Amino acid sequence: MVMVKRRDVSRGALALGALGLLPGGSGVARAQPKKGGTLGYATVSGLGTLDPHVSSSAVELEVIHNVFEGLVALDSQNATKPMLAAKATGSADSKTYTFELRRGVKFHDGTELTSADVTASMERYQRVSPNARNLSDVERYETPDPYTFVMHLRTANVVLLDVLKSPIFPFMILPASQKDKPAREVDIIGTGPFSLGEWVKDSHLVIKRFDGYLPDTSSSGRDGYAGRKTVYLDSARYRFVPEATTRIAALQTGEVQLASTIPAELRQRIEERKDLAIREVFPVGGTYIIVNSQYGLTANVLIRQAIGAAIDISEITDAVGGVNKPNPWMSFPGTPYDLGKSAPTPWYDIKDPARAKDLLKQAGYRNEKIIIETNGNYVWMRTTMLVVAEQLKRAGMNVEVKVVDWTTNASHMQQGTGEWNLSTTLFGPDHILGPQQWRPMIYAFPGIKGNAALDAAYQEFFSEPDLERRRASWLKIQQQVLGNAYMIKIADSGRLSGYSRKLRGQSDYAGILQLWDLYLE
Amino acid sequence: MGRLIAIRVLQAVPVILIVSVLAFLLMSLLPGDPAVVIAGDQASPEAIEKVRRGLGLDRPFLEQIGLWFLQLAQGNFGASLMLNQSVVSAMGERLPVTLSLAGLSLAITLPVGIFAGSIAAYYRQTWIDSVVMVVALLGVSIPAFWIAILAVILFSVMLGWLPSSGFVPLAQDPLGWFRSLVMPAAMLSLFQIGFLARMTRSAMLDVLSQDFIRTARSKGLSEWSTVGKHAFRNALIMVITAMGILISTAIGGSVVIEQVFALPGIGRLVVQGILARDYPLVQGVMLIYGFAFVAINLMVDVLYTVADPRVRYD
Repeated sequence: MVMVKRRDVSRGALALGALGLLPGGSGVARAQPKKGGTLGYATVSGLGTLDPHVSSSAVELEVIHNVFEGLVALDSQNATKPMLAAKATGSADSKTYTFELRRGVKFHDGTELTSADVTASMERYQRVSPNARNLSDVERYETPDPYTFVMHLRTANVVLLDVLKSPIFPFMILPASQKDKPAREVDIIGTGPFSLGEWVKDSHLVIKRFDGYLPDTSSSGRDGYAGRKTVYLDSARYRFVPEATTRIAALQTGEVQLASTIPAELRQRIEERKDLAIREVFPVGGTYIIVNSQYGLTANVLIRQAIGAAIDISEITDAVGGVNKPNPWMSFPGTPYDLGKSAPTPWYDIKDPARAKDLLKQAGYRNEKIIIETNGNYVWMRTTMLVVAEQLKRAGMNVEVKVVDWTTNASHMQQGTGEWNLSTTLFGPDHILGPQQWRPMIYAFPGIKGNAALDAAYQEFFSEPDLERRRASWLKIQQQVLGNAYMIKIADSGRLSGYSRKLRGQSDYAGILQLWDLYLE
Repeated sequence: MGRLIAIRVLQAVPVILIVSVLAFLLMSLLPGDPAVVIAGDQASPEAIEKVRRGLGLDRPFLEQIGLWFLQLAQGNFGASLMLNQSVVSAMGERLPVTLSLAGLSLAITLPVGIFAGSIAAYYRQTWIDSVVMVVALLGVSIPAFWIAILAVILFSVMLGWLPSSGFVPLAQDPLGWFRSLVMPAAMLSLFQIGFLARMTRSAMLDVLSQDFIRTARSKGLSEWSTVGKHAFRNALIMVITAMGILISTAIGGSVVIEQVFALPGIGRLVVQGILARDYPLVQGVMLIYGFAFVAINLMVDVLYTVADPRVRYD
């Protein structure tokens, strides 16, 4: 039996361990937090929806995680911690999970959270969420009393709690009245520390402190997405400002106290002011070259490996700028699935055109065209692929670069359509949680089909209750994905945000924006 | 007049039909898939397929275009895929912003552009003419997004006179409304002022060399009366023509300005719609823009008859 309790720090087999680079969720030293005030936050774009069950967009999740809560959540060490649940327990056969709910938790409409709300939310999730297949093994839900919720699975799932804590397509609990609401049409009623105020599409959104919020008093303080959340701000006003220069201007004029996504080349404008500062949020994702294994030349593993051998990572990261740190693994350093310093593939950053030429010769390459597809929306992607093109040319490859828009580029990668051999993207941040979150991307983006070794490694992973053995399976998975150069890892990357020094209480946790525990001087 | 309007409305029907077919075809020809945008970057192929089915995007092309026209015939412009609301309602929410921006921009453009063009024509081939024309040339040449960013740095960051971005509704705070729009409107009008000044100068030069101007002066009319009344009235036809173009460019130019100044107008809506492949939204907006441009042209035709009674359409 596995159990996750409010004060449990060992977390047994479910624990994902410490994210070593982060100082933890306790955050920077706080002087005397002051209640009141409205935080102005300039973010990059407006929201399409606040329906948590269908949302994977960062700008939407930055609101959702302040308004809604789930049964369990990520703590500052990226382990599972109960949130609306007081306790989460898995049976020995990993087929039954029982959640004891905290009592007295109120929704923003004043009604009390019960197990009926949890059942209704899970059923709705199964109906509307693009991530619903994570609940496809659910046999039935059971609510023996208003404060107990039980999930019965058809097959064992050792990582169910890891899945439920995912911050993307989050498993947030809504009132039962929302059960039949179609996707993107829910009323915005959660149990989180903030409730929705005003929302003017494409202009701004205001969330207000929810005075009926019941904090998790079993925790001493904030802890990632979980823990004891204290709200000092009266409200927060999200302003949707797509142009980076204008976001910085809003910060400089004091119209906002926090601005997201500051381009590296503009960070000096903030750093030169004593009243402003830059915060490096790292890691938020990993950047990869995607190799289309279903199209033309790159169906040949030798060609893919030749491409991998030709890549010089530092040339790419230097050209792209920003916050990038080389890492051969698909997990971030310090996380439970990080497997050490040696690379899982012989191709990572060997920058060896001669070796690439040798592999091309073995593959019978006759100067056929290798098509790189990138986009004009994300400068770093275009820059990356232009550098890659030059590196491949140095290794004797005939390369053509096509620039399309991001929507087209993303569609091609996700669906294996279009005519391209190489592209690039950033995965994150939910895959830091583990191989279970990685799986759909691993198969879809490079179009992996018919790799029995990879299939077997994943099967092994999902049936293995022991963390060490799951780590061994994860090694096999990465050896298949990176060794066969379906994907070529570039680096782990972060982002920059700018803030006024009047804004206090930010933590170093690299999660989605959390407004609790922040205050304005 | 009534006949003129009726003829123009009838002529607009095939135009609108062509616009609607083009809008549908252009969006359909674009690569990319709205289901991917809606399901999310990291959704599985099965989830994307489910979204596609839900949106009706798996239906044959002819069926989709047939449904589109059937909806239009019922006065239904469709519903946005990304916003989950009707196109008309989405536009209705944002129209006041774009109209305010375009209106204030025209309010700046018309007096400044006409005055500058008239002055340049009156003092033709002097340093005044040269200065006005160089400034006008800069106005039509400088990229709007670049000058807009410089304006934000100057007027908001360095001088602190105006907010850097955002929109305040007129009903909520008239002064706030003006402060939120004056810089974007001024930036939008730079191109228009340059364009209008050059058009006005050209028209005025033409009129000022006419016999009736010489006659007016020989009769002893004052320069103000000769130029301000007789010459300007006759140059007005070209200015009215330019106005139609100006209104169109104000609406078109608002796409860039709304992006830089974070104004929640129709320009931003369209950009987001195109990036998200929100077919119904972009098609609906293009169609409504089509109606608007037909109406603007009609208004210009009517104004011709007011400005110059000799103009007849029968």
